[in-house]
Amino acid sequence: MKFTRRDLLAWSAGAAAGLIVTPIPWKLLDDTSIWSQNWPWIPQPPRGPVETKRSFCTLCPKGCALRVRMAAGWPVGISGAPDNPATRGALCPLAYGAHQLNWHPARLKAVRHRGNTSSWFEASTAFAKASTEGPVVIIDGFPGRSTSQLFQDFASKRAAQYRVVLSPEIRSLRAYEAWAGVPATALGYDLENVRTIVSFGARMLDGWGSPGRFSHLWAEQASGKTDPQLRLIQIEPQLSRTASRAWKWISIRPETDSALAAGIARVLLEQRLVRATGPMPRLSLTEASSLTGLGPDAIHDLAQVLVAEKPTLAIADGDNPAVAALNFVLGSIGTPGGIIQTTKSAMPYLPAESNIDAARAVLIDSSVPWDFDVQTEAEVFRFAAWDGGSSKADWLLPAPGFLEELTDIPSAPGSSVQTYSLTAALTRPAFEVHTAAQFLQNVEPQIGKPEEIIHQRCAQIFKARTGSIYAADVAAVSNCSSPQKLEEAMWAGAIWMNEPLYNSRLLRSLREWPTEAGSATPQNSENTWSPGILPPLSSKLYCESNLCESSERRNA
Amino acid sequence: MKRTLLGFAIGFAFTLMLGWIAFPRALYTHKQQPFTFLHKAHAEKSGISDCGECHAFKDDGEFAGIPATEKCASCHSEQLGDTKAEAILVSNYVKPGHETHWLVYAQQPANVWFSHAIHLKRAGLSCQQCHGSYGETDQVKVYQLNRISGYSRDIWGHSMSRFRRAPGDGMKMSDCETCHSRRHVEVGCLGCHK
Repeated sequence: MKFTRRDLLAWSAGAAAGLIVTPIPWKLLDDTSIWSQNWPWIPQPPRGPVETKRSFCTLCPKGCALRVRMAAGWPVGISGAPDNPATRGALCPLAYGAHQLNWHPARLKAVRHRGNTSSWFEASTAFAKASTEGPVVIIDGFPGRSTSQLFQDFASKRAAQYRVVLSPEIRSLRAYEAWAGVPATALGYDLENVRTIVSFGARMLDGWGSPGRFSHLWAEQASGKTDPQLRLIQIEPQLSRTASRAWKWISIRPETDSALAAGIARVLLEQRLVRATGPMPRLSLTEASSLTGLGPDAIHDLAQVLVAEKPTLAIADGDNPAVAALNFVLGSIGTPGGIIQTTKSAMPYLPAESNIDAARAVLIDSSVPWDFDVQTEAEVFRFAAWDGGSSKADWLLPAPGFLEELTDIPSAPGSSVQTYSLTAALTRPAFEVHTAAQFLQNVEPQIGKPEEIIHQRCAQIFKARTGSIYAADVAAVSNCSSPQKLEEAMWAGAIWMNEPLYNSRLLRSLREWPTEAGSATPQNSENTWSPGILPPLSSKLYCESNLCESSERRNA
Repeated sequence: MKRTLLGFAIGFAFTLMLGWIAFPRALYTHKQQPFTFLHKAHAEKSGISDCGECHAFKDDGEFAGIPATEKCASCHSEQLGDTKAEAILVSNYVKPGHETHWLVYAQQPANVWFSHAIHLKRAGLSCQQCHGSYGETDQVKVYQLNRISGYSRDIWGHSMSRFRRAPGDGMKMSDCETCHSRRHVEVGCLGCHK
């Protein structure tokens, strides 16, 4: 019997029909999809003991408390620590996927000199040479750490300048530093006791301060209530996320925050709605009205609302002396629910400017946001864990990534109490990285080590015997048996919190309404990470987790 | 016409045999565990009746999974019997202090997050509902490795069609979804894929 073309077609048709009722296509589809998840270049968590460790986020100065799920010694999952009173379990979307950042393609893996691969030895030699030839400027992004102390020690030994990129929260407190003589880093906002907040563009519900701090207060006291215990009035030209969720949103013309603050203060003082009798702003209500685009009646009504539920606190997005003066008029300085002093031992910092003249070398720490770029003729040594794109740095030096560095975390910017916490290096980098402090030690060995300063600081906390240690349980420092025990608890993820200091004499008089504008807001902000280094799950997590309020609730 | 139908039927039958008989044999390869471990023998001889006695939860609620060699050593610090398996356990693992690299039948991909505590303690499920009656067997189950995915056949289940399966046969996502749907427990993507 001859096998014809027709037979072949009939056989093939039968085989094709038979194939779809076998597991072959369906099982192959399933298995290949799983196989594609396990390609060798896709990082896989190792098999091994699973444990949960406590730590703190170091991506920005806010230092949110973390629970880190570790598998065989490697972090594989991040969640917030609900028992931390400062952040109360909340994290920003970036932190939830931050353990992936160490594997990001933009990770800086080798020393680069003007685009070419170089070595640590060459970088160290170049910096040592530059530091002997002329002045050095060191720029820090998270002041107050043990590493920051080493930078300052290096600066004092080598006649270098130590400068700091201040967060918007700290910049908004700089006016009080000038008037009261208390460093801005020693001041904070007592949000826990405030009833009315008037925010001049500060994104209160978008991570201002610590992500968990205000959002929790707002959720407990204000969300969904027509007459909330906590009133947030957002003054902003655009309907931002914070504005859309605030109790009231008032739209004014851009760059007229100072005029509105002056207009409100004038109404408060002229109608004697507050105890203060001055300083009277030079701007009239009509002028404030024409500048801001708000009618005089609207400004008048706003002033009435501000004194209806006190204490009232005005918060600016950056350095704005007029908003600071409005707080003085409202009597919100040094009192509960106002601007309060958190510590008596802080030092003032010189803010970093983009333009740096007369320096031979500039060293930028990895804590400085990537968007902060200096305009200088000096040789720039920049530490970074991730390459954020184009940079004017001559030297790009790989720094430890997320949870790869032993460090300490001082109070979050704007915090109402002094805090201190420690983060151990939970994981090890896969290539040679150095911190800026280690790099400086090569040049100036006498500046010490971060661990030594951390020991000293823990001993100081123990000696002062104030505040409490918060972990799964709360323990007063006065009950700690030794500084070693205290430090041990802190390495295990506890946070020390001091008591708030209410100093009603913080600022007793203000002679005249400020006329000078605040320092221009630098391009960088506290956590402006370029999208290129976002972990891929961040946006997905934000959308699907309860960090993003549901549309039903928002529209309610 | 008859001849065409015959050709169709032969082709149909050929792929049926290929798909249901040859394909599973080609897809899976058999692997040996490091040594023989008999759940039933341990239950009968040592009186262990609860899975949790060896597959315990840690103090923090984390599931410890397969017990460490230290747990085995609490009874087998020295050889108790004369079996080859016990000799391997004592000489290769207990005395040198090495962990046993068991081939885990229920091993899931790394992107799956599963809490035993939630399912056992909160939902009240039994171990058998997912793992079947493996804990009562008197011989070592053959570990069938999927050559493509790299996971055990226990994930797909032993029935290639996935119809009429025994309880605990299969641990695919659809099995989780079916159980959750039956119990009206809603979990989004991020509930299991962190």
